[in-house]
Amino acid sequence: MIPFALLLPLLVGLPVLLSLASLAGRSPAAILRLCAVGTVAVSLLAAVPVAVVLAGGEPLVMLGDWIRLDALSALHMMVLCIVYSLGALHSPGYFADEVRKNTLDTAAARRYGGLWFGSLSAMLVVLLSNNMGVMWVGIEATTLLTAFLICVHVTPGSLEAMWKYLLMCSVGVAMAFTGTLLLSASTGPTAVHGNESLLWTSLMASAGGLNVTLVKAGFIFMVIGYGTKAGLAPMHNWLPDAHSQAPAPVSAIFSGFLLNASLYCILRTLPIVEAATGGQGWGREILIAAGLLSILTAAAFIVVQRDLKRLLAYSSLEHMGIIALGAGLGGAGAFAAMFHMLSHSLGKSTAFLSAGRIIKAYGTNDMRRLTGTLAASPLWGAGLLSGILGLVGTAPFAIFFSEFMILRAAVDSGEWVTAVLFLLGMCIVFAGALRFLLPMVWKPRDPKPVFPKATVLEHFIVILPLSALLLLGVLMPGFLTKAFASAAAVLGGAQ
Amino acid sequence: MPGLILFLSGLLLAPLLLGVTVRTKAAFAGRRGAPLFQQYHDLVKLLRRGQVMSGTTTFLFRVAPSLALVVTVSAAALVAPSIVSPGWGFPGDFVFLLCLLGLARFFTVSSALDTGSSFEGMGASREVLYSALSEPALLIGFGVLVRVSGEMSLGGMYGGLGSGEWLSAGTALCLVAVSFFIVLLAENSRIPFDDPNTHLELTMVHEVMVLDNSGPDFALITYGAALKLWVFASLIVNLFLTALGGSSFQYIAWFPAGMLLVGVLVGTVESVMARLSLLKTPHLLAGAGAISVLAFILSTRFLQ
Amino acid sequence: MTAYLDIILVALILSDFILLGSGRLGNCIRIAAWQGIMVGLLPIATADAGFSFRIAALGIAVVVLKGFVFPRLLNRAIRESASSREVKPFVGYTTSLLAGVLALSASFWLDGRLSFPLHLESAIVVPVSLSMMFTGLFLVVARRTAVNQVIGYLVLENGIYALSLAIVRDVPFLVELGVLMDMFVAVFVMGIAIYRINMEFDHMDSNRLAKLRG
Repeated sequence: MIPFALLLPLLVGLPVLLSLASLAGRSPAAILRLCAVGTVAVSLLAAVPVAVVLAGGEPLVMLGDWIRLDALSALHMMVLCIVYSLGALHSPGYFADEVRKNTLDTAAARRYGGLWFGSLSAMLVVLLSNNMGVMWVGIEATTLLTAFLICVHVTPGSLEAMWKYLLMCSVGVAMAFTGTLLLSASTGPTAVHGNESLLWTSLMASAGGLNVTLVKAGFIFMVIGYGTKAGLAPMHNWLPDAHSQAPAPVSAIFSGFLLNASLYCILRTLPIVEAATGGQGWGREILIAAGLLSILTAAAFIVVQRDLKRLLAYSSLEHMGIIALGAGLGGAGAFAAMFHMLSHSLGKSTAFLSAGRIIKAYGTNDMRRLTGTLAASPLWGAGLLSGILGLVGTAPFAIFFSEFMILRAAVDSGEWVTAVLFLLGMCIVFAGALRFLLPMVWKPRDPKPVFPKATVLEHFIVILPLSALLLLGVLMPGFLTKAFASAAAVLGGAQ
Repeated sequence: MPGLILFLSGLLLAPLLLGVTVRTKAAFAGRRGAPLFQQYHDLVKLLRRGQVMSGTTTFLFRVAPSLALVVTVSAAALVAPSIVSPGWGFPGDFVFLLCLLGLARFFTVSSALDTGSSFEGMGASREVLYSALSEPALLIGFGVLVRVSGEMSLGGMYGGLGSGEWLSAGTALCLVAVSFFIVLLAENSRIPFDDPNTHLELTMVHEVMVLDNSGPDFALITYGAALKLWVFASLIVNLFLTALGGSSFQYIAWFPAGMLLVGVLVGTVESVMARLSLLKTPHLLAGAGAISVLAFILSTRFLQ
Repeated sequence: MTAYLDIILVALILSDFILLGSGRLGNCIRIAAWQGIMVGLLPIATADAGFSFRIAALGIAVVVLKGFVFPRLLNRAIRESASSREVKPFVGYTTSLLAGVLALSASFWLDGRLSFPLHLESAIVVPVSLSMMFTGLFLVVARRTAVNQVIGYLVLENGIYALSLAIVRDVPFLVELGVLMDMFVAVFVMGIAIYRINMEFDHMDSNRLAKLRG
């Protein structure tokens, strides 16, 4: 038995070292290259324990239960690594012209690199910690670290977005802390004391004896608190601003994983709440309601949206709602939610990264003026087209199947109202997003904007996730089925 | 009998309380100040003067000062004996006290409106605004006393409070006293709500309403104002006297000391604070209401 | 010890009322500092199990941070941005006070409904901390200037801190310290943010930064 668990502290430590290294970087180009290489290195390192857990099914445990990697967190870690790697590999190309024109100076690049690895490390802390308090510290750290990534370019818009993000998320994180407190206080009647009352495993083990009122109050605070950071409606106001103002690689990690990390904290708490309240579905119903509200809110805003990046941001709001809805339905829904999380992150990162390049070349966010992208740049235009087609749930892509599974889970469990509202939201989003997509892709335009020549690597990072998205829709490899099933089993309350 | 002594002494000494306040302010300013009994000299002087009536006024203007004084004296008769005779009054008489004070205000305001002067109308409007904000504070404050003492009448309230209640709900009672004191300042037109020395009609509240009164009528109004201050001050002093406990005669002995303290306190507030701008005074009164509510909530919690 | 504790708690509520009704920014910062000091004194007031080094260190850290460091940073933020010293509320002061009273009543009602297991011997510690949390949230939402929103956030944090002292028997010191560090960082970041927002706009009125809609 190889002690793979020893890798886990290393996983948190390596990004910290890389963060310090990028603070000492000499030139912007070198720092951006370090970002790309370092992130991929961390991802490869992370792949080992992730594969061990997902294949073996047994959680890895370290440091007296404080560090723990089970199927749910391993699956999230996989998504985290994919999204961060895509974003980091994209960064050198995205910032290339700014480095040339010297609008991105060394200080800004150092800050970018330091915060990039810092936030990576904080998110790994969130996923690895079994202690709810440390998990909270991780979320708080991601909030603080990612705030300045929004305003890499200081403009009135990006400063406003950053202030909104900081204010709303810090209040949300404070609420989440209150929820954590209440959850830890709910151990009063049980034999769990001291530091143990914050450990997820010991809370799960003694869930039956917890003080039910406090567990319920704690869960409500957590849904409000972490939900703010996950962008669930009606606490989503910061989300479109932050996503639309940040540089494309940052938008990609915001949409692709930052939201998931907060949702992960809610999902972590869900089995405890369900076990403590006797499996009556009290906590699940809250998630279903929050999910539906987010889907419908996003649908309403997508219809009137003219800004490409804000459209993608509202689409993230919608997909967070779908994941929450699926997890709330439980059973097959939870399986579909895990599947959906992976496919959404793949599709959304690609869409944001392609949109970022297109917006840079055209110099506008307005979808009415972004026409004929496919002719102007086959690579980025195709990436945008298939990314958005995938995201709204067009048939061969994976998201269609995960959404269909969630719909079936809703129908199977007799939640007819939920099913109808979900379907309604999907239809509105589909119509709203496609309204501008077709002219954006095909409507001819003269003169064509000039794109820098795409490198082999860039072809690679667009084509690979999109083909994965397509393949997952057609056939799912057995190890992924097993991974989704075991993550869903954690959500269902299995140890 | 002790109640009668307190009532009569109140009627007699009310103008002296104002004298104490004025002397305190003078001491803060480094002056010798007016003599303690100046208020009495003023009253006598006014009573000896003739009276001028504006031609636009009606009989309301003529009778209002006397009626207002009668009502204020009744209020004093209700409050003064309550500390020494627990049987005094009737259940719910604190509401009646508020009614009496409201009635006095009604007469003053109507006579001010009766003159048809725009300045006096402005003062009347402010007066009514202040009272609308201060009455909830008073009423909720009395609610706390009812809750803590378990009695519904003024006499019973003060009789029902003792050192035991002060130990368990002292914080709430202190907050009530603070709220009453803010109301006292507002209702008696003291700084920071109104400056009794100012002569700018635009900023005055009480004084502006009686600009047209003169001679004996003005004497009645001045005396009524002093008596009103006495009534409010004795509400606060009575509250604190219950903490000491003791017999009626001890109460009577301590009472003047307490009144003196309130007089000095009012003078001190007037000396160290500036007059608030007119727009901000309602916030302070709303604060008094908030303090009363806090006291009420605390009292429900402390006495379970 | 209970009487001492109750006096601190009542003073905390009164400071909330002053914050809700005060129109001067400098005044608000001073009151928030006093509130921080009082909150810092809470663990010392409640050290019934003996006065340990750990409790003293925690109390001192909170008092220094909330009572002295944060007010200084906030004052510097105001000075450097040369902004208005008025609060400029969205919601008027009297209405704000009314909201504070409502929050107080709601917290006492909520406390009656939820029956928290108490660690401290005071009947009002949980409702007081809940009402501080509500007041903080209200200040964040109802005040226009960035500095005042930070003050609202501080009040919210104070409430949460008091709540954690009240209901949690033995949260590890690590987590308690984590709270403080994060708070420090949060306000520090906010301070820098204010500075930079001001550099960009010559004011830090986040209401006027409302171009991003829809």
